[in-house]
Amino acid sequence: MKTKTSLFVAGTMLVNGLLISQLAHAATVEFWTAQTQTDRLQNIELLASTFEALNDGVTVKVVAVDENEMATQMAASVAAGTTPQLIEVNSEIIMALGEEGVVDTKTHQDVIQDIGKNRFHKGALTTLASPSGDYYGLPYHGFIQGIWYRKDWFDEKGLAAPNTWENIETAAKALTDKANNQYGILIGTKQDSYTEQVFTQLALSNNASEFDAKGNLVFNSPATLETIEYYKELAKYNPPGPQNWRARDYYLQGKMGMFFYSTYIMDDLALAEVAKGSLSSANFKELSGGTFDPELVKNTAFAPIITHKSAASYGTLSGLVALKTKSAENTKATKDFIEFMYDPASYITFLHMAPGGMNPMLKGIAEDPAYLEDPNGVFKLYGADKMKQIVSGFDDIRSFSVVEGKTFPASGAIFAKSVIPRMIYSVTIEGKDPQAALDDAEAEMKAIMGE
Amino acid sequence: MQKREEHMSSVLIKNESRLGLKLVAPAVGIIGLLVIYPILFNIYLSFFDVQLNGTKTFVGMENYTDLLGNPRYYHSIGVSVIYLIGTVIGTTVLGLAAAILMNQEFRFRNLARGLILLPYFAPVISVVFGWQFIFDPVNGIYNHVVVDVLHLTDTRENLIGNPDSALFVVIVFDIWKHFPIAYLLFLAKLQSVPKDLYEAAAIDGQNAWGRFWHVTLPELRFVIATVVLLRIIWNLNRFEDVYLLAPNVETLPIFTYYQAFAGIVDQGVAAAISVIQLLVLVGLIWLYVRKVLKW
Repeated sequence: MKTKTSLFVAGTMLVNGLLISQLAHAATVEFWTAQTQTDRLQNIELLASTFEALNDGVTVKVVAVDENEMATQMAASVAAGTTPQLIEVNSEIIMALGEEGVVDTKTHQDVIQDIGKNRFHKGALTTLASPSGDYYGLPYHGFIQGIWYRKDWFDEKGLAAPNTWENIETAAKALTDKANNQYGILIGTKQDSYTEQVFTQLALSNNASEFDAKGNLVFNSPATLETIEYYKELAKYNPPGPQNWRARDYYLQGKMGMFFYSTYIMDDLALAEVAKGSLSSANFKELSGGTFDPELVKNTAFAPIITHKSAASYGTLSGLVALKTKSAENTKATKDFIEFMYDPASYITFLHMAPGGMNPMLKGIAEDPAYLEDPNGVFKLYGADKMKQIVSGFDDIRSFSVVEGKTFPASGAIFAKSVIPRMIYSVTIEGKDPQAALDDAEAEMKAIMGE
Repeated sequence: MQKREEHMSSVLIKNESRLGLKLVAPAVGIIGLLVIYPILFNIYLSFFDVQLNGTKTFVGMENYTDLLGNPRYYHSIGVSVIYLIGTVIGTTVLGLAAAILMNQEFRFRNLARGLILLPYFAPVISVVFGWQFIFDPVNGIYNHVVVDVLHLTDTRENLIGNPDSALFVVIVFDIWKHFPIAYLLFLAKLQSVPKDLYEAAAIDGQNAWGRFWHVTLPELRFVIATVVLLRIIWNLNRFEDVYLLAPNVETLPIFTYYQAFAGIVDQGVAAAISVIQLLVLVGLIWLYVRKVLKW
């Protein structure tokens, strides 16, 4: 019903807007979004139409680009002189793009000034800061990662919550029963970004890092080595062979005790329908997806913070990036569109596309009653307090690219080349010696940084 | 009179060659624009470090020395060679066997001939998903049959993920997917081999094997050579099958992708790799055409 009304409103405004827009001179905002699913795209198109209706003579062209393709597509479009005005993509790619000299940091400053710097979660904003104090992007939504685990199985076996290295390993061992096709844990062992995300959280909890505060590469350290060795131990309780996040389906099937995952899993866990969807896939709509355990939400608990030498929470965020454009009108329209996207009404519409997975980067949104009433009722299920707790994590999320408030964009380039995932793969799957793998990874990092 | 005729013919020849030039000009133009220019620009780019905003910094041979100093590059060449040998021999032999079988008379032959082509027609992405489901270590039918039904072993294997078996799986997948094209070409040629050649061989006392060796194989020689050549060219550059099924099998194209296109595109390095790959491919084909085919 709500959608229908808003569609109608947007439609009416669109018609009016079209009539007037012919009089005004035209500006275009080509907006590349990493949200490629049809329903999400429809949502974004709706927001774009609404903006067009409110702004005479502005055309917003929404283009869906797969996140893994974003950098390649950008290269092609910059070379062809058809650079989009605005893109939405994850922070690692933002930092790497920032170093390529195509980002319009001036627009970012203007938006931050208009909205108010204090309204952004501080850690989120720092993540996208450039070494010279500009911003390569504006934080828009983000997720927190942690361990989701079967509370009922943990209670049954008397296991402590998986929030320390010891607890995780003990539980993983206790819950593994390979003869009966049961696995204790899921960590990433494929050469893709999931592996880097899991490894990063464990490394940060061991005070291992890529850079020190002066920007020296300090990845090859005893702390990193120790983390790799621990990771190798955990991998014994993984499902066979190289795995990535897709193996979370084994958890939904009751074949796995715990798994690293982002808050994106919340609606999957909560809703039988959504779970069915995730068990099959967007490509196979006919598949009903096997059995779903309706008790799974009740039996699942979340451990967002892992402690070893220090406590580490890990999350990653996506941001909006304005790109350099020759036309002043387009730049102005892009700035207006970004600010429109931060307006609570449109912002909440956007975030509701993935309740729990897309969390707000502006303070106050999470407490907004409109925000807590998502169309699928996911937030009601978890409760406002839990949501607030999750979002507050963005004040102090940690990553390899930020050290003591300083940002090192080289970390984004290292991420983009999958150096760490390949290191983990070679140790856990190919049986390479951890120190040798670490040495190789360090050499590659140096090559990327051009040392 | 004679002189005039000579003059006439030389004018005709001139006109004809002029017309000839005009006729090939569009093709030359298109090839120049779409093939020659990109190759030259590619060679030019390979000496630069290219930034996204178009800034180029001359780095000399650095892209090449980086590449040739990378042990992963040589590893990927080794993987590619195994992949090439396995898939080219596999598809040729299986295609030949299928073609000879389908050249015999039997009931439902037409249906069987059509069915053989299916793997070739099916979209890559859907058959890759199919294979991944079959070999899924936890839910796949392969492990279910081997471990739970037949009790051949206790441990569930991830055949596609395990690097030792992944290359093998990828080769088998390629043979299964692409042997129909070899089969199709062989069958077409087999149908045009005159029956009396076989009869003559039979009269000479040749058994089935002898007839295959002395009649079928020589008749098929050029088709086989063509299939092998095409398969080498295709599979040296084969990307999608390998990447979708088992991205941990680092053949040369996969290595190129990781090196140059993963993350921010490294256009200079990518150009250097493709220059080397072009040289290798041209060299291989030249060698093959001259020495093996003797064309």
